[in-house]
Amino acid sequence: MSAHVVASIDEVGVGQSKTVEIEGRSISVFNVNGEFYALRNVCPHQGAPVCSGSVGGMTVCREKNTGKLGEVEFIKKGEILRCPWHGWEFDIKTGKSIFDPDGCLVKTYKVTVGIMESEKALAQVETYPVTVNFNSIIVHT
Amino acid sequence: MKKSNVKKLNDIIDCDVHPHPSDYNVIKSYMSEPWRSRFNGNGKRGIYDNPIHVNRLDSVTPHGGYPCSDPSYMREQLLDEYGINYAILLPRAFATKYPSPDFATVVASAFNDWLADVWLDNNNEDGRCKGSITVAHQDPQAAAKEIDRWAGHPHMVQVMMDSGARAPFGQRQYYPIYEACERNGFPIALHPGTEGVGPNEIMTPGYPTTYIEWHTGLMLSFQAHLISFITEGVFERFPGLKLVLVEGGSAWLPPLLWRLDAEWKPLREEVPWVKKRPSEYILEHVRITSQPLENPDNREHLLQMFEMMDAKNILMFSSDYPHWDFDSPTRSFPKLPEELKKRIFFENARALYNLD
Repeated sequence: MSAHVVASIDEVGVGQSKTVEIEGRSISVFNVNGEFYALRNVCPHQGAPVCSGSVGGMTVCREKNTGKLGEVEFIKKGEILRCPWHGWEFDIKTGKSIFDPDGCLVKTYKVTVGIMESEKALAQVETYPVTVNFNSIIVHT
Repeated sequence: MKKSNVKKLNDIIDCDVHPHPSDYNVIKSYMSEPWRSRFNGNGKRGIYDNPIHVNRLDSVTPHGGYPCSDPSYMREQLLDEYGINYAILLPRAFATKYPSPDFATVVASAFNDWLADVWLDNNNEDGRCKGSITVAHQDPQAAAKEIDRWAGHPHMVQVMMDSGARAPFGQRQYYPIYEACERNGFPIALHPGTEGVGPNEIMTPGYPTTYIEWHTGLMLSFQAHLISFITEGVFERFPGLKLVLVEGGSAWLPPLLWRLDAEWKPLREEVPWVKKRPSEYILEHVRITSQPLENPDNREHLLQMFEMMDAKNILMFSSDYPHWDFDSPTRSFPKLPEELKKRIFFENARALYNLD
């Protein structure tokens, strides 16, 4: 597993994403309500750049709570990615599709926020005061 | 085709590409008064609009323009991306949504002038864009005149009308259109979009509730028209006529023909002008485009459908770019035997449209 600094947290606001190239792969980092998630930017369906789709929520029936199929609610606001081509829905947090969570999914990567070991080393050799940015978004592939 | 400046070509003809005006009001400049002032600049059908998105979200032009409104960006994102030799362009004028036949004819005509101006006569040095002549079937006589107006145009390759209609297309009121197609050597293409809209009948018993219900049911419209074409004897009356079914699905064809053949054996008496088994008209007269390609979990089943429908001779690849249900030339089909692939992606359309 290797780690890659892809952005500072200021660059990717809530509801936004940033797409980067890591080892020849297009990967996007999403900020969902302050938490970061990374997805492979390829739709398992026909290969579209899935991460350039729209981010929103999803409409579901509440029948488990109310027993009424006609009562619908809008949930997971900001957590659902829709492919820009055919509109398939994926949960950004898991990469899993809504219609077939275990059979159709986008690859996810671990994301941490902090400082790279290499950056720490750089900071240590400096002989004058530096501001160290501990706010890097790091994708682990 | 002039091959200079063209990147690698993969022997693909895309039979359903939708150019769009940069602004709907541009169409007004191809109209005279009083129509110009009356055209409301609204390209929507008004009902059954896709609730998610109509166009691929990544097809907006680099300058923020409407998807497929820039011939150069269309080449970059579609033709060069996949090595497509030719795109058959089908603008969506929705001319058949107007109750006034005069207005409908003017809208169709203006779209044809715009298509020729922006996509065919200009911005088309490589000749890769081929056009469809939009006609409004509310007034078949006027439609026939419009077809004649484009006779001999170097890039117009077919006539196109919406499959949303007031009557099945085999009926005699439409014959002036087929006559004009036949005399000018143009195939007639049907494309969905105005089913249940304006003066057109809906293809279901009553109006569907949702877009998914309406959109899935569009194939019913195509089936009804095809049955009508055959049982009314259109291909006997116009032996040179070719029919292209665009975006109406294709996997339904074999069982429909099995049933029609079976019905014809006892009921030929009722339709003596149907001189051959109904299925025998398909190879000579009908072509069907692939998108939206049916996609069974077991892709072997799709290959079996291809065998049953004689895809080798009648199926033609289409992507529907830039619409939301785009079929990628590289990803939408299962792996095909080389010969079958060549026929579906290139040869069948090349022969139909006389392309090189």
